[in-house]
This record gives sequence, C-alpha cells and structure tokens, in this order.
Amino acid sequence: MAIIEGEPRPMIEVRNLRKEYPVVDETVVALERINLTIPRGQICCIYGESGSGKSTLLNQLAGMEKPTRGGVRIGGVVVSRLDERELAAFRQRHLGFVFQSYNLLPNLNAIENVAMPLMFRGVPKSQRERIAKGILKRVGLGKRMTHYPTQMSGGQQQRVGIARAFVAHPEVVFADEPTGNLDSKTKVDVMEMIVAFARDFNQTIVLVTHDDNMAQYADRIVTLLDGRIVSDRLTH
Amino acid sequence: MRFADILHLCSQNLWRRKSRTILTVLGVIVGCCSIVTMVSIGSGINEMNEQSLKQMGDLTIINVYKQGNYDGAGTSDSTGAGQTEAKLDDKAIASFTQIPGVEGATAQMSLNYTVTMTADNGRYVATYGDIQAIDMSQLDNMGYKLTDGTAPTKDGEILAGQYLAYQFYDRFRPEGSNMRYQPQDAGDGTYWTCDATGNCSQVPADQLGEESKPFFDPMKTEITLTIQTGDDSSNGGGVTMGMGYSSGATDMGGTGSGTGSAGTTGANGANGSGNTFRLRATGVLKEDYNKGSATSSGVLMDISQLKAMLAKVDQSAAKTVTYEQALVKVADITQVSDVEQQIRDMGFSTSSYEEIRKQMEEQSRGIQLALGGIGAVSLLVAAIGITNTMVMSVTERTREIGIMKALGCTVRDIRVMFLGEAGFIGLLGGVAGCLISAVISLGINLVYLGGPGEGGENIWHAIVGGDGVTRLSVIPWWLFVFAILFSTLIGLVSGFQPANKAVRIPALDAIKNEQ
Repeated sequence: MAIIEGEPRPMIEVRNLRKEYPVVDETVVALERINLTIPRGQICCIYGESGSGKSTLLNQLAGMEKPTRGGVRIGGVVVSRLDERELAAFRQRHLGFVFQSYNLLPNLNAIENVAMPLMFRGVPKSQRERIAKGILKRVGLGKRMTHYPTQMSGGQQQRVGIARAFVAHPEVVFADEPTGNLDSKTKVDVMEMIVAFARDFNQTIVLVTHDDNMAQYADRIVTLLDGRIVSDRLTH
Repeated sequence: MRFADILHLCSQNLWRRKSRTILTVLGVIVGCCSIVTMVSIGSGINEMNEQSLKQMGDLTIINVYKQGNYDGAGTSDSTGAGQTEAKLDDKAIASFTQIPGVEGATAQMSLNYTVTMTADNGRYVATYGDIQAIDMSQLDNMGYKLTDGTAPTKDGEILAGQYLAYQFYDRFRPEGSNMRYQPQDAGDGTYWTCDATGNCSQVPADQLGEESKPFFDPMKTEITLTIQTGDDSSNGGGVTMGMGYSSGATDMGGTGSGTGSAGTTGANGANGSGNTFRLRATGVLKEDYNKGSATSSGVLMDISQLKAMLAKVDQSAAKTVTYEQALVKVADITQVSDVEQQIRDMGFSTSSYEEIRKQMEEQSRGIQLALGGIGAVSLLVAAIGITNTMVMSVTERTREIGIMKALGCTVRDIRVMFLGEAGFIGLLGGVAGCLISAVISLGINLVYLGGPGEGGENIWHAIVGGDGVTRLSVIPWWLFVFAILFSTLIGLVSGFQPANKAVRIPALDAIKNEQ
C-alpha cells in the first residue's frame, strides 16, 4: 500500500466513475463517466455550482463513499476498494483534509487539534506537540497555541485546520470549500497559505470550490456540471 | 494511537460533561453500595453464625458413638444396618489417631455405679457423683478449660467440676441450712442467689456473701469416693461402662436431688460394701455441657485411674472395657467432614457441628444471594444509566467522530475510546461506591455495637471485628476487589452498544453536517 517515491504513475487517477443515489423510487445520478488524472504536486480545483456533483466527487476521491461503478486510485492504491480499517490507515499516512466549517474538536486547544493526526499515528506527545507548535507558528498563530476553537475567529480556526491538514505531510490534501465561511481578505490569506504549503512539500491539492477567485489559485480547473466534467484547463 | 492518549481523551471527554458524568457515576455508586452493603450483611450473618456455633461447642471435635447409640448435640448419621458392630475400644481410639488430619482422640468413660463422696473427714457428704474419665494428655486438645489449678499428673489426682463443691451438704448443720446454692450469672454483672426456702434475689458480683460460696475449697480438701456395689444398686449386677449424663445437672443449684433415692442408701458413709478411694483435686474444670455434666458437678480423671478403680470393684469388667463414646479432635475445620466419613466407614456413629455448620452456611449463602440480588437490581439500573449517557454522548459527538475518522483515527481506537469512557464511569463508581460502603458498613456496625464506646474502641471492633464481637456488616477484602471489577465490567458492557454505534458513524458525516 506504500506509495513509492518517484513512481511514474500519476498521484490520483479516476477511471470511468459513476455514482448513483437511490432517492425514494428513482435513482439520481450524481456523477457520470468521470475520468481524471492528477499528477503529483498539482493544485487541482474542482469547480462547479452547488449541485454540480463536486462535493460528491471529492467524497469518492477521499474514499468516504464507494462509487457505484469505476474506481479511484491514489498513488496506485485503489481507495474505492479499501475496507474501513485499511481506509483509516491510508488516511493516516497519505491524506489530509481542510473543511469548510473548520471541524476542530471543541475540547482540544490549537496545539492538540493540530497534533491530532500525529496522535492517531502513535507519535509520542512531546514530539507531536513540538511539530504542531512549529507549524502553528508558520500559519501565524504562535500566540494562540493554547487557545480553544471557541476563543478564535473563523480565519484563525481555519488556519489551525490548515496546520492540521499539513502537519503529517500527507501526499494529498483535500480541501472542501476551505474559504466558504470566510470574509474576502481572510480568504486570500488562507488560499495563499494552502498553496505555499503545497509548493514547499510538493503536495497534491484537490480544492473544491464554487468561488471563481479562489479557483484562480489552482494550477488546473476542472469544471463540473450536472455530474459531468464540462471543461478541464490549466490556469497558466 | 497510544493507549495513554486514548485514556487522556476519555477523561477529557468525561470532564467536559461533568454534571452528566457525575450523575451517571452516582448511579453506579448507588448500585455498587447496595451490592457491597447487602453482601456484607450476608457475610455478617455468616460471621455471627460461626460465632454462635463456636459458643455451642468446638467445631473441630467429632463425637464418636458405638453404632446405634448416641445421645449428643448435633446430628448423627448411621452408616446403616447390615454392618458388623464395631467395638469402641482402645484399639479403635488408636486407629482414629491414624486418620490424616486428626490431632488427637480419647475415649470418654463414665462410671455407672452409684457413688458417694465425702470431704473433710466425712463432714461434707454428696450422695451423687458423676465420675468421668478421659485421656488426660488430650485435655487441652479436646477443649477442656480449667478455671483454677493444673491438670493431674499422678495417681489419685483428679479435676473437680466447677460446681462440684455445691453438691455436698454439711452433716453438722441442721436441715434447711445444710446446703449452699450456686449463684447464677444473670449476664449483666449480677448474680441470682437462692436459699433453701427458694427465696431468690439478684445481687452484684462483688456483694456475693459467704452464704453463696460452697462449704469448702475442693482443691484444698481431700475427697473420698465410695463406689456402691450393693445389690440395691439400680445398675444391677452387670458392670458396664457408659455415659452417665445427668439431665438434671443443668437446673438451678444443681444439687443432684434427682438421684436422691439411690443416694440415701449410702448416705452415711463408707460402711457398705463400697470400695473407697482418696482423691485430691489439682484443678477445677470450667463448666461445659458439651463435655458432659462432670465438668459442672462431677469429677474428671485419667482413664487409667478409672480403670484401676474399676478393677478393684469388678475384676472381670475391667478386663474387657469398651466405651460408649469417644472424642476426636480434627486439626482443621475443612477436614471435619472427611474425617467424620472415615470414622463412619469404620462402623461408628458420629456427630459434630459440621452438619449444622453446613446448613447455616448454606442458609446464609442463600440470604447473601438474595440480598446481593437486590443490590444487583440497582446496579442494573446504573448500567442502563451508563448506556443512556454513552448513547447521548455518541449522538452529540457524531460530527467529532466523523472528523476523527476522516483524519485517520482507526475504528479500533474509536471503539476503545468509548468503551474506555464507559468503563471509566464504572470504575469511578466502583471505587467511590466501595469507599462509601466501607463508611456505611462502619456506621451499621457502630449502631449495632451501640456507639463508638469509650475511647473509640468499638470503632476498631466495627472495622476488623474481634473475639466475641458480632458485626452486622462484614466486608471481606475480596468483596471490594469484586465490586470494583464488576462495576468496571458493567460499564464496559453498557458501553458496548454505544461504542458500536460510534464505530458505524461514517467519516462522511464530518463534511455533511454543516453548522
């Protein structure tokens, strides 16, 4: 299951993906014939209006839902076929998440929240807190390390969320509308931070957004409409 | 994930919802307390039973009878008909001592002749005497106690029953004042004393006057024993050895008046066909009805001496002595039933307190189970409380669980986390419950013993008990261990279903549940 460094394979491969949801007595097709290849180190934006299926696609990519047909490979591993236990281990080692609503644990302070993925890996407390402190300083929260989520603004919370997503240096970070709840100035800060992390460690980012301005930070924009890819272009 | 980290998260989560945790723990405390208290009362009943049995008699002594001939306390069990009758003789006694676990054995021999006793050159006369003999080397072993003096070592030495001297009347005093009556312990530091006319009064121990004491001190006065072998003896010509229990010996005064008609024939001393022996008491026995009336109003001597006396009276009888009864002392109480069975297999009847003890034990076990059951119901309620708390906790934390899963927390860790919280509630409740029940138990015992007493001596008794201290509530150490483990187990079991519920929450919920 290990991802071999320098493997010629692309980081993420989606082949002929289809996702249906049964709704009462009919079947809603959320995604259809999705083919997508994302190389290592690319910041890929999945862009679309609400209901276009972009969040559903993210769920398939991250292994949170099983596709109806087709498959998703990350670093050569078919995540759509992993069971619950294997998925947990896979997420621990290879995936990071940034959520729209930050999703910090309310009873943990900033350091503990950031150190959480390391804790799941079994890293000793002193070591993981040292790492967490380092990354918190980098996101500019050096003075708020012992604050709890409720004591922080939305922007600060999201910065903690970003620190948490990157703390274990995962190969792939999924960001689901990371700026959705933020004001326009903070949005820019947060996006720049994500991009900076990704560049530093050659990490692959899958960014889901419906915000034009945010999409511009990506290397590539994949536009979804009614569950199909309607355009796929590089930004530069 | 490290176990220490899981524990830390558990305690953090419990602490986050203090009041709910405390209330749930309180439920467990109540359950734990009721189980511990109930079982401890059961144990207390057990302890009381044990003590009252001890007062009845030594639990490790087995009475052995010739087949089909028994008349003692406790229960007996015959090995049934069809077996050849075993002789209870010196050989049999020797074989008893060979049984593993037996500390000692002795025959109990009684003289079935009418005897008269005189003291102080014939001034004091007793028309009745209960003469018994055992192997004096087994005196301590068999639980005979002395109030004064030492065991006899030489020929002609005997032990006097505790109230032997009251059996004598003074020939030099007029009728009506020629007897002394033994005062009866009223149990509260006072004694009942009666005179010949039947007037009784209650006086404190230190005000017992001269008229309450016997005419002489048996340890300082030589006693002359005369065995009547005349044809008027109710025992007839045949000489047998047997038990000579006098059922009348327990009544007040114990004057032996029940033997009056037989006694009058030899009342005036050794002028009949009797054989006379001069005896000296080296000690005074403590009255013990389990050992026969000789300890109260009779005389106890070594078997060899009684045999020698018998030989002078009737040569032929002395040669073929068999006994009616023997005592066997077992080293440990757990071996009593084994030894008893082996003796029965040899063809004797036995009785001991083992059967009664077993019955009482079974009874108190039943009580203990019933009381423990009542306690268990409240712990069951507490278990439901834990489940409720955990289900609520899981529901509240659905999103958190989803986040943790998305960030790579394994299913196993989540399960351990929730089981840990539930177990922790159980453990806390168990420990606190044990502490509180220890206090409750102490309280019950103090009330039962009637307050802390002078200098708080009863507090110590209430905690650890002691000789002659009866406690209503006894908590053996294993009950604490059991209660804590059981409470923790209850917590874990109660947390099982909620933990499964938590495990099934998909990581997707972290993203789905928007604020």
